[in-house]
Amino acid sequence: MRNRVYQKLTLCLMAFGWCALAAGSNVNAWRTQSLSQQAFVVLQQNCFGCHGAARASELDLRTAEGVLAGGENGKVIVPGKAQASRLLQLVTHQEKPSMPPGKKLSDADIETLRKWIVAGASFEGFAPAAAEAPKTEKLPERPFTAAERGFWAFQAPQRTTPPRTALASWNRNPIDAFLFAAMKAKGVQPSPRADRRTLIRRAYLDLTGLPPAPEEIEAFVNDKAPDAYEKLVDRLLASPHYGERWARHWLDLVRYADSGGFEFDVDRPDGWRYRDYVVKAFNEDKPYDQFIKEQLAGDEYATESDDTQAAMIATGFLRLGPEMGGGERGRQDALDDIITTTSLTFMGMTVGCARCHDHKFDPIRQSDFYRIQAVFAPTRPLSHPLVKPDVVAAHAAETKRIEAQQKPLRKAKDDLEAPYLKILVEEAVSRLPEYMQIAWRTPEDKRTPGQKLNVQQIRKTLEDDTLSMKLTDKDIVARMTKEDQQKHQDLVAQIRALDKQKPKPLPTARAISEMGKQPAPTYFLHRGSIDTKGPAVSPGVLSVVSEFEFPVPPAQAKSSFRRRGLAEWMTNKQNPLTSRVMVNRLWQHHFGEGLVRTPSNFGKLGDAPTHPELLDWLAVTLRDGMMNDEGRTMNGKPNNEAGIHRSSFRVQPWSLKDMHRLMLLSQAYQMASDDIAANMALDPENKLLWRMPRVRLEAEAIRDAMLAVAGNLDRSLGGPCVYPWIDPKLFQSSTKRTWPGKPDDDPTTWRRSLYIFSKRSIRYPLFETFDQPNLVNSCERRNRSTIAPQALLLMNNNFVILEAQKFAERLQKEAGADVTKQVERGYQLALGRAPTAFERTKTVAFVQSTSNGLAEFCQALFNLNEFVYRQ
Amino acid sequence: MNPLYYSRRELLTQLGGGIAGVAFADLLNRNGVLAQSKSPLAPKPQHFAAKAKAVISIFCYGGVSQVDTFDPKPTLLKHQGETMVGVGEVRPTMGTPGGLMPSPWQFKRHGQCGMEISELFPHIAQHADDLALIRSMTALSPAHGPALFQMNTGSILAGHPSVGSWVTYGLGSENENLPGFIVFTDHRGGPINGAPNWGNGYMPAAYQGTPFRDSGDPIVDLHPPKGRTPEQQQKWLRLLRELNEKHLDHNPADSELSARIHSYELAFRMQTHATDAIDISKESAATQKLYGVGEQPADYFGKQALMARRLVERGVRYVQIFSGGGNFEPSWDAHWDLKGNHGQHCAETDKPIAGLIKDLKSRGLFDSTLIIWHGEFGRLPISERMDGRDHNALGFSVWLAGGGVKGGTIIGATDDYGYRAVENKKTVYELHATILHLLGLDYDKLTYRFNGRDMRLTDVHGRVIKEVLA
Repeated sequence: MRNRVYQKLTLCLMAFGWCALAAGSNVNAWRTQSLSQQAFVVLQQNCFGCHGAARASELDLRTAEGVLAGGENGKVIVPGKAQASRLLQLVTHQEKPSMPPGKKLSDADIETLRKWIVAGASFEGFAPAAAEAPKTEKLPERPFTAAERGFWAFQAPQRTTPPRTALASWNRNPIDAFLFAAMKAKGVQPSPRADRRTLIRRAYLDLTGLPPAPEEIEAFVNDKAPDAYEKLVDRLLASPHYGERWARHWLDLVRYADSGGFEFDVDRPDGWRYRDYVVKAFNEDKPYDQFIKEQLAGDEYATESDDTQAAMIATGFLRLGPEMGGGERGRQDALDDIITTTSLTFMGMTVGCARCHDHKFDPIRQSDFYRIQAVFAPTRPLSHPLVKPDVVAAHAAETKRIEAQQKPLRKAKDDLEAPYLKILVEEAVSRLPEYMQIAWRTPEDKRTPGQKLNVQQIRKTLEDDTLSMKLTDKDIVARMTKEDQQKHQDLVAQIRALDKQKPKPLPTARAISEMGKQPAPTYFLHRGSIDTKGPAVSPGVLSVVSEFEFPVPPAQAKSSFRRRGLAEWMTNKQNPLTSRVMVNRLWQHHFGEGLVRTPSNFGKLGDAPTHPELLDWLAVTLRDGMMNDEGRTMNGKPNNEAGIHRSSFRVQPWSLKDMHRLMLLSQAYQMASDDIAANMALDPENKLLWRMPRVRLEAEAIRDAMLAVAGNLDRSLGGPCVYPWIDPKLFQSSTKRTWPGKPDDDPTTWRRSLYIFSKRSIRYPLFETFDQPNLVNSCERRNRSTIAPQALLLMNNNFVILEAQKFAERLQKEAGADVTKQVERGYQLALGRAPTAFERTKTVAFVQSTSNGLAEFCQALFNLNEFVYRQ
Repeated sequence: MNPLYYSRRELLTQLGGGIAGVAFADLLNRNGVLAQSKSPLAPKPQHFAAKAKAVISIFCYGGVSQVDTFDPKPTLLKHQGETMVGVGEVRPTMGTPGGLMPSPWQFKRHGQCGMEISELFPHIAQHADDLALIRSMTALSPAHGPALFQMNTGSILAGHPSVGSWVTYGLGSENENLPGFIVFTDHRGGPINGAPNWGNGYMPAAYQGTPFRDSGDPIVDLHPPKGRTPEQQQKWLRLLRELNEKHLDHNPADSELSARIHSYELAFRMQTHATDAIDISKESAATQKLYGVGEQPADYFGKQALMARRLVERGVRYVQIFSGGGNFEPSWDAHWDLKGNHGQHCAETDKPIAGLIKDLKSRGLFDSTLIIWHGEFGRLPISERMDGRDHNALGFSVWLAGGGVKGGTIIGATDDYGYRAVENKKTVYELHATILHLLGLDYDKLTYRFNGRDMRLTDVHGRVIKEVLA
């Protein structure tokens, strides 16, 4: 009778579902309707609010597929069998949760549903297409101007021959040739090469997000082999930490988090599987086109994939967004979020701006938005079990068996309580205001509409409400005879014992599926409003780029293949955006800024590329790959002076690692980052890339570097998230939020920052202070702000102080008791170099002058600009 | 002068002076490189002259019942237990709807303006002539999560900067030794949605709300751990500065690096300033009494209101205090036992808010401080769970007072039931546009570029509510 789960569910549904009620209903045509049409109307009027577009409990009753598929709790109807149909059990309140929440269908409506099921549950009149007659109105399609079509980002990238430059060392790698030519044209000189210590630190931080160990630095500095640097780059690309580092960049784009955000911020305990998928994809150098295909449509490629589970986990991409409100409006918001993120991430286009009107600046029609929405609209969440089907079946059978045993026990408990409850209710009513008591005592057929409502409310509140707790189980039991109390206690104990016998949940992935090959139609929405539906639209792509014929799903397909179509379009050679956008992102994270400095906006309001030919050359190279002899070599013969071989330039199509390699082996990447006054006068923003810009490390990299240098970083890969310490005062400010934080000295928390649970409403202070993105929107480039709270944190935070202490212990162990040696080792570990004479004098004196001087010196190293900046 | 901005002379000192230094600094100045070193919180000019310089926002989380506080409806008693007529379908968010429920409280006219306010707010009522009361506010959602987001950020969806972020982004802060935007939550917990309620959304971290704790250090990590003395800390900071400045020799023009060096001085000063700012023991007994400090149940909120005044006095731009936290009873969310719930919350906040108004006036700060009072929505005039009221976003009351506000004003009206705004209906966008306007910011011009769009607090909506302006 008092089912907490039900109460909570109702609470959620009620809170989210309010706007769903706005879904239109039309009952005028009742008289001529068939049984199935009548059933449809009953469901439409009473159930679609939650079990329509909102898909509460993953149940959608609007279509035949939806009704037959059932929801997350299983099938809801068995055609021909009323008793076996859960839907009927729920609406007749024979089973919990009683449906619809808070009311009961009229007997006539229940009879309609019963008859319809008994008659075999046919579905004519069910498809929404029939319910909402398609309009003949034409889609508004504004024509594109020649200038719009001719915009640079929509032209196919061309691989032009790199210019020949006078400076031999800048002539070998095509990247250098393009950059040098541009510098020369403006009279700017490239910076000299950085020293090897700077270079190895840069490469480590860029490729793995961790600083190099002193031994690795010394080995590299002393490696006289001509290909020493090339070997270093290859080693780092092969490091599993490379995947961790670059997964972090990717997770920013796809606004990854481990909880749903919004009101209840429900955890997503399986979310990390997607994160691990991304790490693995980078580490295995999964071709970028396949990476896109799996995330957009892994389920539609699964049968052809060698790793079906990975392909399914990848579709979790479509479920990374924050929870939205309920109902049709909430569904629209969620789809908008998917379209916005997908278009920013893969296409560098702000398609989300075209939800309510044609894009104000770019040739993106509002109809494009809805055609792309038609691609994603058929998706529904799927908890994809990561075990074999027979295990799934056994699990379900066992759960069912136990629930069947509980059913009679629950009924016995309710029956036992009923007479006592009745007495308590009467007593409570006698304490209510007079007008309510009068309503209660008035015979049912004499009650005014207001009295009816009040009586219904009194009954519900007193008999079935665990929120206000006006009458509780405790109150009822207190009234019972000793004998009944004993019976009650036994029943509760038996139900609980059976609960404990239920099998543990199976491991699952957050994945995506569809309900069939023929999805319900998607409508154009005037002004983006669900109240002004326009004509139905067919799936489409960005029409300014190209027309596209969507594939027809094969006979055995379980989905529409629309997402597969979109993925094919994106990875098609003709697509001018995909490869440009991705090479620009790689560039951005190696050179501080992208060649296009608005990496997710290649539109009119975005920045134009600083080096358009170079961007195109890189884009074509990523897309098509490059054989050895296509790369530039000095006068056609290999030159080993800088350790660069002809083989350096081999690029497999869509290989990200090969592109990293190409970039890191350029002279440009190896430049120093110091100021050069003459260049600064000509190009203060370094748009010509005459030096390597200095970049503040991200929050995660700062934390990881401290752990690595202190020597207690747990370098293990993947798996469930960890919870480091957060002051409870910070999250108690959020209702019912819990954060099972472990103390800072708990070794299980010493993992890389990538593995810290990212809860949308509780941010890890170190991350939040250092500009972690908001976990809600796609983030193309992190803010890099400098504020006093960052300094406070690195000065006073317990984790930082603990790491400094660990670091000091390490120095004592590795350098002995001699302070000068400790200081020198400290500089080597933290900064990869020996201290200067000035630094040595200052720091040694400091360490010797205070009792905890060594640890404080270590903490000072963590606070240095040189430590938190990559140069 | 803002210390994050290195004047030419200062820069020369840093470079060790010399002819080369002069030439170099000149060069940098010409190229605007130095200008970039401005702190993100440096004070910025208003778009146009306006009186209000700071905001104290009082957020009654959970939703205040308008028909029991600022919007009297005798109809509820006259037709108690009956259904509403002619209002269309009523959609409670939780539980089954009941009939009309009369308010348990009496209303009286107050002040020259004769504003009707219920006996729940006897102290605030004394300032009726200072309030601009909007009785026709509407919100887009009657669910807490989206409605909180809307009230705090303009959008019902997560991810957007809060009003406090927009204001500090627009105006900077007058005191760099304190955060520009400070938040106090209720001792029973904060509002749902958590920190994103005062988040900076897509803006830099400088504009995020900083929660001040109710005991110990106001800010997390404000003070060094036990055993580290201030002298030790200063010595450590000196070492850090010397090492960082040597490193700067290679990149004298890098404004980020020098700003970071300076941020440690700010941090050091913040340690004393922040602690001092909330030290209400420095206030006279009379002042403390004014806010209800030391009296139950007003003590806790009273302290926060007094701290808010001290912060605003010190140049903090935006202070937000949440009354109510957690779910149901601990917040204003009176789904049942309205009498107990609103009785408690009003008693906690009435005297402190009135005290705040009086105190600001006596210190000459009332004209430069904007006070805003609201929940995320109102409540239904019908009963829920026999003696409570459910959410209602279709019409509710909010008020403003202080800098640039025309006191004693009543704007708009709800229908006879207090259910739906029917006269001069207002939106949260308009409230936000008005707040910005009162601070001298043009809501249409205050934009921040993100993911290809110039974002605004009021999105493409909004209009200043002229009736509020003095």
